[in-house]
Amino acid sequence: QNILTVCFSVGYSAVALNHVIDFKEKKQEIIKPVSPSELFPSLPIVQGTSKRIKVLTRLTLVVSDPSHCNLLRSTSANIRLYDIIAVFPKTEKLFHIACTTLDVDLVCINVTEKLPFYFRRPPVNMAIDRGIYFELLYTPAIKDSTMRRYTISNAISLMQICKGKNIVISGAAERPLELRGPYDVANLGLLFGLSEGEAKAAVSTNCRATILHGETRKSACGVVYTVKKPRKVEEEETGVPACKKAKTQA
Amino acid sequence: MVRFKNRYVLCEVVSEDPRCRQCIEERALGLAVRDAIARVHGDYGLACCSVSFTVKYLNAYTGTVLLRCRKDSYRLLCSALPFVRHLESRAQRYPCFLNTLHVGGTIRTCQKFLIQYNRTQLLRLLQNCTNEEERQCIQKSLLSCSLTEEQSQSGDEEEDDGTE
Repeated sequence: QNILTVCFSVGYSAVALNHVIDFKEKKQEIIKPVSPSELFPSLPIVQGTSKRIKVLTRLTLVVSDPSHCNLLRSTSANIRLYDIIAVFPKTEKLFHIACTTLDVDLVCINVTEKLPFYFRRPPVNMAIDRGIYFELLYTPAIKDSTMRRYTISNAISLMQICKGKNIVISGAAERPLELRGPYDVANLGLLFGLSEGEAKAAVSTNCRATILHGETRKSACGVVYTVKKPRKVEEEETGVPACKKAKTQA
Repeated sequence: MVRFKNRYVLCEVVSEDPRCRQCIEERALGLAVRDAIARVHGDYGLACCSVSFTVKYLNAYTGTVLLRCRKDSYRLLCSALPFVRHLESRAQRYPCFLNTLHVGGTIRTCQKFLIQYNRTQLLRLLQNCTNEEERQCIQKSLLSCSLTEEQSQSGDEEEDDGTE
């Protein structure tokens, strides 16, 4: 709760509380997320504007096996309650699956150790088309020097493939002093190889797009598109015998 | 006209420990920032940034710091500021972090920003006020803050730092 108070004073307008589910232990149940109204009786107001701060809930799945992905497709009601779903792939195949077919909002990139796989362009491009964002953490970089090297090298290799698009820089602060203000985080983006505009976007607009992506995932299952069809009856009749001819010939 | 162009970075020291605010000193802060630059950018970065690096202004009550550096190397400085983890002064270590507020080309622009920022901070404190006297005190200081000839800033007036 302290962390949240510091967040608000520093100038963030939306915060997400993260639950990490690790599949090494068996029989992990997805627990219901903690509702933000339990923590704060009344959410304080953002600095500078008159809107209240949004506190969202987020789920991170650490997957090291393709069978873990089945959990996402399951009809467990608790998954629907989370606003943002993120996946943390550990192998290249899982990275490919996460970018192309899984129904998530964020793909976490490991910053604490050397990546076991290299990024390839096709899955990254498909993820960008689908609107999935890649997430980098900055808190390990502040804590430790070796982590800093891994963070920067992994981030730069990601930049070279995706050209700086669809990046979100976020922090996993466990104590209030590990947090950094938004301007500082955008400056960290410069260290990772982003340009100045991209770095600021990584903190602001990309995050908002992720939240919207999560909302559309929760609500929309399909889109019905109605269009007024002009009268085409005569054309159909002339078309039909042509088809019949084609079938007999084939 | 040949003139050295500088960048002035306005930061705020945020810390949990209320004693940390009182012991902020210019020298300790300068050392902490230089140390962070050395850790992140190495010897080259430290040498580049320390050409014209000073702590220009420090307000211990609100924790406001104004740093100066050359325009060519301000990016190195700004990207190393998140890595400041603690301040050391008089053999005591206080964990804290610096929150960058504004980067300007002159002291005057930074001062204008600081006045606006302090005004919003006072407004926020006004909402959390419980005491009627405190309320009146804050309202009075809100009405009186402006860029005057004596360069008096509203941040210097006594704010209730208990809520920070």
